[in-house]
Amino acid sequence: MDQRTLAYINLFAVLGALPELCRLSPEAQAYIRNQKVSVGFDVKGGPAGTLFFENGVCRMEEGADKCVVRIPVGSCEKFNRIIDGKATPIPTRGLTKIGFLTGPFTKLTDLLTRYLRPSEEDLKDERFFDVSTRLMFHLILSAVAQIANEDEVGRVSASYIVDGKIKLSIAGGPAGYLDAKDHRLTAVHQDTDRPFSVMEFCDMRLARQLFDGKVNAVTCVGTGQVRMGGMISQLDNVNRILDRVSLYLA
Amino acid sequence: MHPIFDHTKSRTQFDRAARVIPSGVYGHLGPAEGCFIPVSAYPQFSERAQGTYFWDIDGNRYIDYMCAYGPNILGYNDPDVDEAARRQREKGDCVTAPSAVMIDFAELLVDTVACADWAFFAKNGNDVTSIAVRAARAYTHRKKLIFFKGYYHGISPWCQKLDNAGVLPEEVQNNLYLDWNDEQQLEQAFAENKGQIAAVISQPYMHGNFVDNTFPKEGFWQKVRKLCDDNGTVLIVDDVRAGFRMDMKGSDHYFGFKADLICFCKALANGYNVSALCGQDFLKNAVSGLSVTGSYWLSAVPFAAGIACIEKMKKLNCPQLLIDKGQKLADGLLEQAKKYGYDLHITGMPSLFYLRLADDPSLMLHQAWIAECQKRGVFFTNHHNHFINAALSDADIAETVEIAGEAFAALREMGK
Repeated sequence: MDQRTLAYINLFAVLGALPELCRLSPEAQAYIRNQKVSVGFDVKGGPAGTLFFENGVCRMEEGADKCVVRIPVGSCEKFNRIIDGKATPIPTRGLTKIGFLTGPFTKLTDLLTRYLRPSEEDLKDERFFDVSTRLMFHLILSAVAQIANEDEVGRVSASYIVDGKIKLSIAGGPAGYLDAKDHRLTAVHQDTDRPFSVMEFCDMRLARQLFDGKVNAVTCVGTGQVRMGGMISQLDNVNRILDRVSLYLA
Repeated sequence: MHPIFDHTKSRTQFDRAARVIPSGVYGHLGPAEGCFIPVSAYPQFSERAQGTYFWDIDGNRYIDYMCAYGPNILGYNDPDVDEAARRQREKGDCVTAPSAVMIDFAELLVDTVACADWAFFAKNGNDVTSIAVRAARAYTHRKKLIFFKGYYHGISPWCQKLDNAGVLPEEVQNNLYLDWNDEQQLEQAFAENKGQIAAVISQPYMHGNFVDNTFPKEGFWQKVRKLCDDNGTVLIVDDVRAGFRMDMKGSDHYFGFKADLICFCKALANGYNVSALCGQDFLKNAVSGLSVTGSYWLSAVPFAAGIACIEKMKKLNCPQLLIDKGQKLADGLLEQAKKYGYDLHITGMPSLFYLRLADDPSLMLHQAWIAECQKRGVFFTNHHNHFINAALSDADIAETVEIAGEAFAALREMGK
């Protein structure tokens, strides 16, 4: 496993799921209701990105130049340890906002962990199941883009992906797409009416089972539970990248 | 108007298969790799086959333009091939000592295939492409292989790309993947890997999936041949797919050059399970030196079937017959497309035609049209080249064209 790719996934897919969490979870919104702060991570030799929090809304941008709280990290390995809870982030700017990091931000990331690594008990709650599955969907979409752009093997798959929007969706649930251009992928967390290829899971239950590795996508194509269409070569290559998502997110 | 088919039994059987077989139906005959879009439009299991038709387990009859992805070249259950196989089966098939029918088959291939001084038998296309590459490496004592992007040479690790599940980087680190028809890139690859390239392996023309099929540019194969000669590199033609649908003497002969090694399988024995590697004399010892064998490689029944198949193909002048039938079909399909205002592209050899509706580059419109053909009894695919067989009649072609027209009309009704 490549630590640099993992750092990109951890920043843009794992922490990148916070905006969606804040959109979906009233509890998460409450943590940041009266906050106006931005937290930037600048990983040496790796990714840089900033989370902006304002009045219960969260968004993420690439780069760490415009942040209030800046957290430089010496290496991708160290950043990955921080995300794993095995190292502590130390900000160098915005020290007056450190309370946000130790308070609401920590609560948010703890909540995110609960949704992304749910217990069987939590998943019995329908609302929890729905939020958790939606978050997983968006996280996987982002992770695919990072692996396609950064991972050595992922880049081989991406080199065979022709330009165009690759739509992934769950019927009755979330939709997003990977915008392929010049063999680089960008994850976009909204629907598109002009996809070049489509892969749709028939419902949230099936999507969850696929995410958890309990059913096989190829079999589900045969049963009609996974619907494909359009430029299948795009999906073939995205599926190869999807195989590597579990390697990084296990 | 043709009725719309129902596939209830296919769906039920697939669900049953999925419980005990990985993917339900895996590989190119399965719904995922076979691009059954939508899956409900396609049959998943056959009941029987005869001539140019197969019947699915729901009782629907298809005019089959995939021919089991190539093996059916004379028509399913061809009486001459089946009789030869039956006679051999009565004598023996998989026996401790091989039958001398193996020699008859080898002699026939040597007499038939232009570049062949010998023939070596196995079971699948992948067997013989793999043996060809090993022989080339053994002969040259080199590691590197040149492939042309869009290729398919089988399922073994050596012919995959780094991102295929279960393939190790070490297994593909000596692979050079070049663009088809790019002479400059090829020259550069030879220059940058002087004395290291064991083989160039290629299909006779580019018949990759999802894209129009592309013939070699004028002089391209001659350039490849010369570069191989100048650099002591073995030239392997993978004729598994196109073999005997272009030229009985081999597809290299069709394009005016001579391969060092040529691989056959699909159409070799009209569905009986055999593949053959043929080659020039100078590589015979290299193949002899390989430790390769298989439990069923020397079974006699497929050899007898192969002899009957080749003799009949020669008698029929099969490649030209299939090209003519394919051209007649192509003319009819193009006429229907024009009538309904669609831009149908048909590429590759008429005997191995590839279809694409170019109105929608995403192929969604094309997939919808192919599905409408499927639902009315014409088995086309939306991603792969097709195969013509000798049992296809003018009436079958006329019915196909009629169904294609009905499918176009259905698209118009859907507002597509």
